[in-house]
Amino acid sequence: MNETILELKGISKSFPGVAALRNVDLRVDRNEILGLVGENGAGKSTLMKVMIGFHRADEGKYILRGQEMSLSGPEEAIRVGVGMVFQEGSMIPNLSVMDNLFLANERGFVRWPLLDRKRMAEAAREQLEAVGLGSLDPRTLMRDLPASRKQMIEIARLLWLSSHYGAENPILILDEPTTVLQASETEMLFSILGELKKKASIVFISHRLEEVVLHSDRIVVLKDGIVVADAPQAKAEVRAIEMLMVGHELAAEHYRESMQGSPSGEVVLSVRDLAMTGKFEGFSLDLHGGEIVGLVGLLGSGKEEVCRCLGGSESPSAGKISIRGRETRFNSPKDAIAAGIGVIPIDRRNEGLATSLDVANNINLLVLARMRRGLFLSPALERKSALKWIGEVMIKTPSPQTACSTLSGGNQQKVVIAKWLAAEAGILVLDHPTRGIDVGAKDEIYRRIRELAAAGLSIIIMCDTLEEDIGLSDRIVIMKDGRMVRDISCAKGAKPTPVDVISYVV
Amino acid sequence: MSETTGSGGAAGGTLGAVSPGARAAAKISSFVSKGMNGQIIALAIVLAIFAVGTNGLSLSIRNLQTILSLAGIPLVICLGIHQVVIIGAMDLSTEGVISLCAVLAGFLIKNPFNTNNMGLWVIPVALAIGGLAGLANGLINTKIRMPSFIASLGLGWVAQGFSVIAGKGNAVKMLDIRFQNFTNGELFGIPNTILIALALFAILFVVQHFTKLGTHMYAIGGDEALARQAGIKVDRVKIIVFVITGCIYALAAILLVARLASSNPRTGWNQMFPAMTAVAVGGVSLSGGVGGALNAVFGTLIVTALNNGMVLMKISPYIQNAVNGIVLIVAVALTIDRKKIGIIK
Amino acid sequence: MSVKNKVAIKPIYISLGLFVVLVAAFTIGNKSFLSLYNAQTILNAVGILLAVGLGQACVILTGGIDLSVGSIMSLVSVVFMLLLGPLGPWAFPAVLLIGLVSGALNGLIVSKLKIPSFIATLGTQGILLSIAYLLSAGPLSVPDNSYGLVDIVNGAIGPVKSVWIIGLATFAIFFVMERYSRMGRGIIYVGANERMSYLSGLDIDRIRLVAFSMSGLGAAIAGVVLSSTLYSGYPTIGGVYVLNSIAVVVVGGTAMTGGAGGMLNTLVGALIMGILNNGMTVVGVDVYAQQVFLGVLVIFAVAVTFDRSKLAIIK
Repeated sequence: MNETILELKGISKSFPGVAALRNVDLRVDRNEILGLVGENGAGKSTLMKVMIGFHRADEGKYILRGQEMSLSGPEEAIRVGVGMVFQEGSMIPNLSVMDNLFLANERGFVRWPLLDRKRMAEAAREQLEAVGLGSLDPRTLMRDLPASRKQMIEIARLLWLSSHYGAENPILILDEPTTVLQASETEMLFSILGELKKKASIVFISHRLEEVVLHSDRIVVLKDGIVVADAPQAKAEVRAIEMLMVGHELAAEHYRESMQGSPSGEVVLSVRDLAMTGKFEGFSLDLHGGEIVGLVGLLGSGKEEVCRCLGGSESPSAGKISIRGRETRFNSPKDAIAAGIGVIPIDRRNEGLATSLDVANNINLLVLARMRRGLFLSPALERKSALKWIGEVMIKTPSPQTACSTLSGGNQQKVVIAKWLAAEAGILVLDHPTRGIDVGAKDEIYRRIRELAAAGLSIIIMCDTLEEDIGLSDRIVIMKDGRMVRDISCAKGAKPTPVDVISYVV
Repeated sequence: MSETTGSGGAAGGTLGAVSPGARAAAKISSFVSKGMNGQIIALAIVLAIFAVGTNGLSLSIRNLQTILSLAGIPLVICLGIHQVVIIGAMDLSTEGVISLCAVLAGFLIKNPFNTNNMGLWVIPVALAIGGLAGLANGLINTKIRMPSFIASLGLGWVAQGFSVIAGKGNAVKMLDIRFQNFTNGELFGIPNTILIALALFAILFVVQHFTKLGTHMYAIGGDEALARQAGIKVDRVKIIVFVITGCIYALAAILLVARLASSNPRTGWNQMFPAMTAVAVGGVSLSGGVGGALNAVFGTLIVTALNNGMVLMKISPYIQNAVNGIVLIVAVALTIDRKKIGIIK
Repeated sequence: MSVKNKVAIKPIYISLGLFVVLVAAFTIGNKSFLSLYNAQTILNAVGILLAVGLGQACVILTGGIDLSVGSIMSLVSVVFMLLLGPLGPWAFPAVLLIGLVSGALNGLIVSKLKIPSFIATLGTQGILLSIAYLLSAGPLSVPDNSYGLVDIVNGAIGPVKSVWIIGLATFAIFFVMERYSRMGRGIIYVGANERMSYLSGLDIDRIRLVAFSMSGLGAAIAGVVLSSTLYSGYPTIGGVYVLNSIAVVVVGGTAMTGGAGGMLNTLVGALIMGILNNGMTVVGVDVYAQQVFLGVLVIFAVAVTFDRSKLAIIK
């Protein structure tokens, strides 16, 4: 009964090492609210980016209002009525609301050579009315507004652009719109979306399953790049969705479970009531020698900030950190490193390596003091150290003098690992260690992680999927909305399944 | 668009369980950042200090007139540079371009070396030269993709070199009395140079706040990537701004030649430093997107009053350089948005 | 262990090639270019360019720029003349210390106040110039008793001029620091990826401080040599060296983005600049046109070596 506005058929999209979308069929109908859910890495954001033309699919058809097309980019997408509100926002903070609304499209308001600001303000008010902000002064600067208002204004801009270009029933895509909102604002958002639905279609991504079930007309579940469910709201139920998101099996040896050990009794790192205002609070943890603890949570759960505090790049507002019983304070990464903590960052190109420098220089960065003969650095010692670690971690590189920019993602990751191993870090924080790495290299990294733990290193890990977290860790600590909610054992042979666990996470 | 300084934004959001002293500081900071409040206070403080130091002499009508007449040309230059800073770029070619325009203008106005006597027609010619220099800056920055500060630094040296070649190192006397009379004259007691500067201010003010170009300038300065994403032709706007600035330099060059009644390759020397200081002191943030023509006016007045006061108090001119240097550093330190620039090099 | 550049042809080979081309071109233009006397003249100038260039290279390697080197040279030249009488040979280390301290001041302002280096050094060049003017508005000459000391710099050991030895010694110091010291390596790391260096525990502030201090030292050495050869010191002596020092570094193939290039590149750059300056004069190019060439050359060299992948947005 409902006419289909946008249809994606057989869409596949791959990136080096990762098949993000596999043969996805999705349709967006007229006047509906579509909820899109899935785990981290399931392919939601890739799918959205294909919808707005930011990525071109490797295979498949893009059919908009019955016409097959290939978008040249997001600018064209908006012109045909498909727009997205990104989490980071796309409004310019030092400009006013009305300037942002009509940015780059002011021609209609020009009374040459000046802008007719009065008319702009009136037109702005009209657009703001449609999103429930009729009382907002259009001359307010964007940076003086709270996140909830900013979001509505983004929606207003998309709506205006669509009507400006004559696209009817535009599709508005919202990426996690409720993450920045309070409860009351969420209600208001959905009531406005309910109104907007009359002349537009809305696709929204959210991890808050109750609200998806409550407010969507239809729900699509993605898992590992495939659509596993596409059902109307009446048939949807949170528990069922959770199970679909994470699936049932857990391939044990995939994560080299046979190599998993049982950690020693000694507590190497003890954290008590760590907190960062506005991000997380009450975080406590005892990390034992040779233990692998998985830190699990969605974006905004606070886990990234916890790791930054442990790494010394940010300071907690409260709480204590003790290394082997001695209380310490990290004022900068230098202190954390001195305490034996190494952080392997998620963004290894920008934060883990100097890609313009060679492998040897990157590996030896932390241990140059040991490369001295007398007062000066010895190239011979540097070379020896580099070769040693290249062998240990099995980095595939023509020579220690090769620039890191030419190495593959997996090998770059190994260089970063080598750097911290050379520094004899006793505690490693691994931030999505296998992201962007192909399957073969992943296995090597799993094996390496197991070996490190067996050798007595303690590891805190954050993985790409719940499955990976459970598979690799001795136990997982789940964080939600800034608090620790659960500590679940993942001992060898007695691992929970992602389905058991997911309800605590989302 | 606001005329505020960049530093006050933080005051609003971070109050909470903070000491009363910090809260007071935050309140002061946010008041000072609103509108021209901070600049007006700073100007008042500067005037007050020197009023005391000179027993009121610095506030005499005569001296205020002097301040205005001294401020005229620097204000023109400052109005030129600040536009480039608004879009988040930098223009260090000031001195070279002014010298070049001055030398070429010098040979076109009635002078002892040739029979040219272009009179007022020299103005559009000079503007064209300045505009071309600005165009070069803009193209190097946008097409060759070189950061504006090194591009303009290099271009400034090139222009300076050309000015020396063209001028053959000599000072050229300007023989057209009309120019001199005009620059040294006044209207109702207000020196003509400052009137020209204020006229320029008015034009730029209108452009910044009431035209598409102005909106786009601030958008680019605010977040260049987002501006481009929104569909603004960033390269085109940048080039236009550089060209306008180049033309403004040419205007300053003519005023300088007229005032000194001579032109030479040194005409532009020592003009950039006070203008850059005025830009920073006025609250035009080096990170871009903040501040406007009014900030340039206040900044120039403050710097001029400062230098004038030091002269009246017989402070050595050599110390003045040092004071300007310190003021520049402090002003930038206070107004720069470090989160936006990211890593400071 | 050397720092590799990912450019297909290493910039230093391009610079060396340029060097050869220039020598050939100028020799064709005027045979006397290749005379022994001319070569000596060039090397004299290269000594000064090299010293100030090596210092500037330290700062540029961290990704910054030092616009105050000219003022440091000027200040040093003035103070040197003033101290030769009272301090005798101790005047040499004294002024080198002044260079170090001036550089350290720059380093502190950039790292503690967190403002861009070009603004900070623009500010300090005014301050240092002021100090120089306050000490002496006009030129100062070598005090009568001190000609012997100054002539150490102007003298020679056999055919080898002292200036070249000083130049080489300075190069040796900077080169060893860059290649074989942790501080020097730290400068390269910071220039290559500052965020990563911070996260890996490098003391960025201290590295910056050292880089700027070395720049001050290089400028001071250049200032001492320059004023010795001219037998005088005055506040505008260093003016043209800001441009020259940047040109030396950049033309040698060191990228303004930082982390690539180095002292060896700067040596080649100094040779090129020395040849250019001298060659253009010998061949009869207008003295004033040389500045135009320099400007164009700098723009070109920066455009070629600039690592655009480092800056998402070019402002």
